[in-house]
Amino acid sequence: MTVTLGDPVVEELRGILGHDHVLTGKADRLNRTRVPAPFPVHRWAERMPDLVVLPSSTEEVAEVLRLAHAHRIPVVPRDGGTGLTDGAVPLRGGIVVDVKRINQIKEIDLENRTCTVGTGINALKLNEVLSRHGLLYPDDPASYPCSLVGGRIGTSGWSLIGSRYGHTRDLVLSFDHVLPTGRVIHVGDGIGRKITKSSSGYQLKHLFMGHQGTLGIATEATLKLFPKPEAEFSPFWAFDDYDTAYRTVGQLARAGVATFAGAVLFDEWKVAYLRRDDEAYIPQPASVKALVCAALYGYEDEVRAGGGRLMRIARSMGARYLGDEISQGDWAARHDRYATPLHGRTRSGQVVPMSWHCEDAAINYTNLPAVRLAWHEIADRLRRASDVFDDWGMFAYTNGATGADYLTEIDIGIWEQRLDDAAWAAWVAAKRDLAAVALAHGGSISACHGSCREGEVDLVPEELGGGFDVMLAIKRAIDPHNIMNPGKYLLDRAYSDAYPDPDGAP
Amino acid sequence: MPDPEKRFAEEWRDAAYNCFSSGHKFCREVCPVMQVTRNESWSPTAFHANVVAMEQGSLEVSDVAADYVNCTGCGACELRCPNSLFTGDFYRFRTRTVDLVKGVRSLAVRQGVHQPGWQRWNELTAERTHEPVADGVSQERVRDWAQGLDLTVGGETILFVDCEAAFYRPSVPRSVARVLELAGYKFGLMNEQWCCGGPAAEMGYEDQARRFAEHNLADWRAAGVRRVLVLDPHDYITFTEDYPKYFGESFDIEVVLVVELLAALIREGRLVPHLPVERTVTYHDPCRLNKRKGIWQEPREVLRAIPGLTFHDVDRVSQWSYCSGAGGGLAVEKPELTAKISEMRMGKAAELGVDTLVTACPWAERPLTAAGEARSIGVVDLHELLAESLGVAP
Ligand SMILES: Cc1cc2nc3c(=O)[nH]c(=O)nc-3n(C[C@H](O)[C@H](O)[C@H](O)COP(=O)(O)OP(=O)(O)OC[C@H]3O[C@@H](n4cnc5c(N)ncnc54)[C@H](O)[C@@H]3O)c2cc1C
Ligand code: SF4
Ligand code: SF4
Repeated sequence: MTVTLGDPVVEELRGILGHDHVLTGKADRLNRTRVPAPFPVHRWAERMPDLVVLPSSTEEVAEVLRLAHAHRIPVVPRDGGTGLTDGAVPLRGGIVVDVKRINQIKEIDLENRTCTVGTGINALKLNEVLSRHGLLYPDDPASYPCSLVGGRIGTSGWSLIGSRYGHTRDLVLSFDHVLPTGRVIHVGDGIGRKITKSSSGYQLKHLFMGHQGTLGIATEATLKLFPKPEAEFSPFWAFDDYDTAYRTVGQLARAGVATFAGAVLFDEWKVAYLRRDDEAYIPQPASVKALVCAALYGYEDEVRAGGGRLMRIARSMGARYLGDEISQGDWAARHDRYATPLHGRTRSGQVVPMSWHCEDAAINYTNLPAVRLAWHEIADRLRRASDVFDDWGMFAYTNGATGADYLTEIDIGIWEQRLDDAAWAAWVAAKRDLAAVALAHGGSISACHGSCREGEVDLVPEELGGGFDVMLAIKRAIDPHNIMNPGKYLLDRAYSDAYPDPDGAP
Repeated sequence: MPDPEKRFAEEWRDAAYNCFSSGHKFCREVCPVMQVTRNESWSPTAFHANVVAMEQGSLEVSDVAADYVNCTGCGACELRCPNSLFTGDFYRFRTRTVDLVKGVRSLAVRQGVHQPGWQRWNELTAERTHEPVADGVSQERVRDWAQGLDLTVGGETILFVDCEAAFYRPSVPRSVARVLELAGYKFGLMNEQWCCGGPAAEMGYEDQARRFAEHNLADWRAAGVRRVLVLDPHDYITFTEDYPKYFGESFDIEVVLVVELLAALIREGRLVPHLPVERTVTYHDPCRLNKRKGIWQEPREVLRAIPGLTFHDVDRVSQWSYCSGAGGGLAVEKPELTAKISEMRMGKAAELGVDTLVTACPWAERPLTAAGEARSIGVVDLHELLAESLGVAP
């Protein structure tokens, strides 16, 4: 289903949005297909939308969707365009609805400690304003400087300090959501915008988060705020082996320290990657093979006490504290250390600009070591096959303060300039293998980015089982003409004859 | 023979891929144009990605030339880019969005793709050898600002006064001249001063920029000039970056930024600001000083030396995302965008509860003053403020 947009539609859209906010230029469209995850540059043109619209309000989004629904035109929501699973990349042309202009701060409610914003806003920018009120919106992904609230909702993202404050799904209280038909609903707990717990009806909030734009477009969100932490403590520890580091992370997470915001475990490949000429990384002796960091946020007195306890635990495990200066610097650099293409290396050691690709999964603590070995083996296979790939190591981030499951990611450098069909196919196969490892270990194939990209998406029905059939039924009910981000998440199956009957009999 | 786009893409290939392969757009929220338009086609990322598309043959310069208007050349994106921040020092690498934008603009002009405002502006500038910043601008009036100051022409050190200041803000160069006189610092004026050529270079009219540069350098040489004082941050960029590029090693003129000189004179006790200036101020870091040249301390030194001022500073890193919108020719082609950016900048000043925004860039002053009127915040030039405190106001 490829749609070519006739002029009448363009004119109608211009009528809705004004001339300047309907973009048809080639560069406008090419640049709305790009996300940071590597993609086959030689096939860039295949992913072009027919046009791009820049609405400024919920009503404008609703009108665009009504029009698209009437004409059966594919619609792809795009916010920061930093998603790593191609969610915002159009597969069938159509209209990209770029919501960045919907970025106003509508209300800051100091009493109930919430704020209401347009979903085109960035959390870093929002926090610049909130900090004047002593408040913080603590959704803190590594993409903090560039991802936007709508995309966080669209992916149901992961916050690096989520063990303390919760992740996007906890922090977004409610939002206005435009359904594929153009109808506007408000989803959240109960009828209120600022209610945090309700038991009425189905819990629709989660349904309308993390759907990668396949169920509509969130336009205005009410967010939970916290007092801006008075103190932050982020110790980094060095280890001579992965195993000790791994055991330390578990101890830290299970300690149940209230101000504990998260812990991160870096394996030896990651340490080697960070050592590559990175000015922010103060050289460590070669014996350092793994790193652990913990972050605590809160009032001065409670952070000091909690920090003391974590320091004692780490020391008892044989950790070597790297000192305040390194710790603070490395934690402060947490948003900027990814995606430095100059860290790419061919096997002979030649520096080449490589794109960063991060394959993520949610894995139980106990399965981390096994998954790690299996994943590096896959990366190694890629690297042996071609200089296009490099292994940039693994991170594991705690999720909740219980330490039950971890966001586990392996970072692969990809020399995008050299991608061709063969290398791309090898990459897609590797992604499928990485996902299969996660499932084989009782994990989920994604903890934050979603899993609708070529490769891992094939395993989604397997991961969800009967849940996937429910997904198909919901998709068809909410989006009868399959206009919302068609082709993603294998949801086209909802419209085929072989579509399984939600009553049970497939 | 490859076509010009191909050649351009080859030249910029690695830089473009360094960005394309990151593609994360950390630069985006500091970009002033992006902040007010939210149009991703006008972001540093897109500026680089387009080169990749050109290399593939999917775009021609005529498809994108108008997009490249939307840049003030502020340099914020370059600083904010993790590629500059983290691996930059090691590889001697800085993301070079500003040069890339200039490069595409001049590629466009060479291919006969013009932006109407810029084309007109450069024609008038060629005609008058000065930028058309005000009516009646002409070569004969280039030294009008100095009337009654009794300044000589020529000498080892001269003061170069940019078009905007010379014709539109004469009190700025007058203040500078009087302050330097007070300190006993010897300098003269240029014999036949033409526009520095910087704006022409920024708008893509490279031949004209070079022609002006050649004229000015010849004029300096003829008068035995060894040192050029500049009060305008834009000229400072032109003389320290463009001229060495044009003339290579043979460019042996010392370029001195007046603010740095004044800070040194205050430090040495040769200037002692003593008259209190009772104002509550904040300081606007001109993009070309703070972000492009790393000069942010000296202007603050000067401000802190002035008695009576209540100074609400905003640290220089926060100011990476501030811009007046006046640079890079944006005001000529898209004055409405410049106005929006200035309003945004003024909004930040208003949050601090100041009555005055201090600038150190003549070009920023016009749009900022307009934006300040709505908020009853005055805009004052740093040099003028210093002159006032020294009792030599023009
Ligand atoms: C350097 C880097 C680090 C990263 N680190 C993290 C991390 O720590 N944690 C994490 O979770 N992610 C991380 N990511 C991934 C990415 O930032 C997140 O997926 C983010 O949530 C995407 O937000 P966005 O605004 O860029 O959305 P986009 O990429 O524009 O969109 C993401 C998805 O949401 C849909 N969508 C966009 N807007 C809406 C809307 N208004 N309503 C409904 N659907 C919408 C899109 O169609 C798409 O499917 C990282 C990315 C980069 C580049
Ligand atoms: S300029 Fe730098 S920060 Fe911006 S997208 Fe390119 S690499 Fe990223
Ligand atoms: S130089 Fe300034 S205006 Fe130009 S792209 Fe970079 S941040 Fe934007």
